[in-house]
Amino acid sequence: MTRSELQAPRGYGDLAVPAQRDSAPSPKRRRRRRFDATPYWLILPASVLLIGLMGYPLVRLVVQSFQHWGLRQIHGGYPPDWVGFDNYRQIFTDPMFWTAVERSVLLTVVMVGGSMLIGLGIALLMQRVPAWVRWLITLSLVVAWSVPSVVSTEMFAWMTDYNYGVVNWLLGMPRHNWYINNVEGFGVASAVVVWGAVPLIAISTYAALSQVPSELVEAARVDGATSGQILRRITLPLIRPIIRLLTVLSIIWDLQVFAQIWVLRQSSPTQDYFTLGIYAYTKAYYSHSYGYASAVAIVIVLLLAMVVGVYMRSLSKLGGID
Amino acid sequence: MSRVSRTVYTVIGLAVVVIWLFPVYWMVNTAFKPGGDMLTVTPQFFPRHPTLANFRTVVDDPVFWTALRNSALVAGATVVIAMVIAFLAALAIARFRFLGRRVFLFAVMAVQMVPLVAIVIPLFLTLSTLQLADTLPGLIVAYLVFSLPFAVWTLRGFISNVPPELEEAAMVDGCSRLGAIRRVVLPLVLPGLISTSIFTMILAWNEYLLTYFIISANKNYTLPLWLTHFTLSEGVQYGPLMAGSTLIAVPVIIFFMIIQKRIASGLTAGAVKG
Repeated sequence: MTRSELQAPRGYGDLAVPAQRDSAPSPKRRRRRRFDATPYWLILPASVLLIGLMGYPLVRLVVQSFQHWGLRQIHGGYPPDWVGFDNYRQIFTDPMFWTAVERSVLLTVVMVGGSMLIGLGIALLMQRVPAWVRWLITLSLVVAWSVPSVVSTEMFAWMTDYNYGVVNWLLGMPRHNWYINNVEGFGVASAVVVWGAVPLIAISTYAALSQVPSELVEAARVDGATSGQILRRITLPLIRPIIRLLTVLSIIWDLQVFAQIWVLRQSSPTQDYFTLGIYAYTKAYYSHSYGYASAVAIVIVLLLAMVVGVYMRSLSKLGGID
Repeated sequence: MSRVSRTVYTVIGLAVVVIWLFPVYWMVNTAFKPGGDMLTVTPQFFPRHPTLANFRTVVDDPVFWTALRNSALVAGATVVIAMVIAFLAALAIARFRFLGRRVFLFAVMAVQMVPLVAIVIPLFLTLSTLQLADTLPGLIVAYLVFSLPFAVWTLRGFISNVPPELEEAAMVDGCSRLGAIRRVVLPLVLPGLISTSIFTMILAWNEYLLTYFIISANKNYTLPLWLTHFTLSEGVQYGPLMAGSTLIAVPVIIFFMIIQKRIASGLTAGAVKG
């Protein structure tokens, strides 16, 4: 969100401002100045929920990452032991962790890159096709968008079935197992994610594209710009805010990809399929090392902040930050 | 644009349509096939002997009905509570300027930045402290936290679109401020409220990850959880699995088509009007 988006709208508050500037004090002014508790009552329920179930767990996450928290603490009511940075030390010396980081980052690059490029491509395509094709594209994207991720994962699992999968038939590779080699398995997972992510990206980018003033494009064309130049110099810079927002959101969603891999591997992925999310989950729920898993979670949050930060910085170097 | 490039674009466009519709078509196609027709090396692109047997397997599973009831209950409760809470908060943000407003807005946005897999472990432990783990109320409050940011953001856009002058006029005519909100603002944002609630309902209906962490007992399953469990308990039987998937997805597809345009406009309203 940019600064201007977060700025206060015109409302009672703005109307009250001139009154406060009046030099002569008046009874009216005094009343305006009185503390108004109404907005606080209005945000109270939302704040309680957010603090109780998001703020408090976050604090707890940080605290637990410095503790040994296991079954004894959950069921036995034993106080947790403070272990300092032990959890973190263990994480950073676990080769499995580094493999998981590598995989997650690589998968995120593939998924975000794939869905952004395809989404942008489809949005540009939608501007260039006849109305009936555009209508069909919108329809198919909206249908795909609304399919629950579990359902779409099951669809792709069935299409890549070993014996009877339609994909094997289409590619002429009978009895091909897509999951023995984890590169291919992650390929299927990426396809599910990209298939599900493209609709939002394509439809909102198309909406942004249709707000680009046609006079600008016309003027450039009159001046002799090629369509490639128009795209690079006019259209893309104008829609950069929405592209940036969609990319950041995609990074957040894809770095923690879990459900698609989990369901594709029938809720019991082997170590070949450990990504950061699955690694943390397995540690927490199978080894009951909640402290350790919390530390992994903190690392995920930091990694995410880092990736988003680097991305925003590289954009600002390119002059993308307004 | 030349006719050749127009044709090329049309062909690519149709390929996009095929790629994005095919998996859905394949799900429905499989759902209507009897077992033998499904398991052929050369796939049948139309159900040659259409049957409802797969759907019968699904509706004969008692857990399906429990899950359906739970999903409807949880989605319904999430929508009603989220709309009340989000409307109040959106009203505060759109119509009042107060100390802490920016902090609140920032907190609402930041919630969306927290990765679910990171927060879900302490969230689960917090819910167990409150005796809410593995219960439907626990699921509802968890959904609330994750659906509020979007609902607040969108409703704020819709409320900002109502000119404050309208309320002031009502107050001049003798309405209290709350009366003005109830009689003027509420009716005007009703369409926005409806589409935001449908969107929230779809989120709750489709949600899998949180549910997977919070719920473990059969009797508390929601539909997505039931679907994945169904695979495990029966061995992978793709016919009933695709029939179940179809039953879960079709209502969402229909709802989504109804509101899709309005949600887009609500989002832009929120984005443009500060």
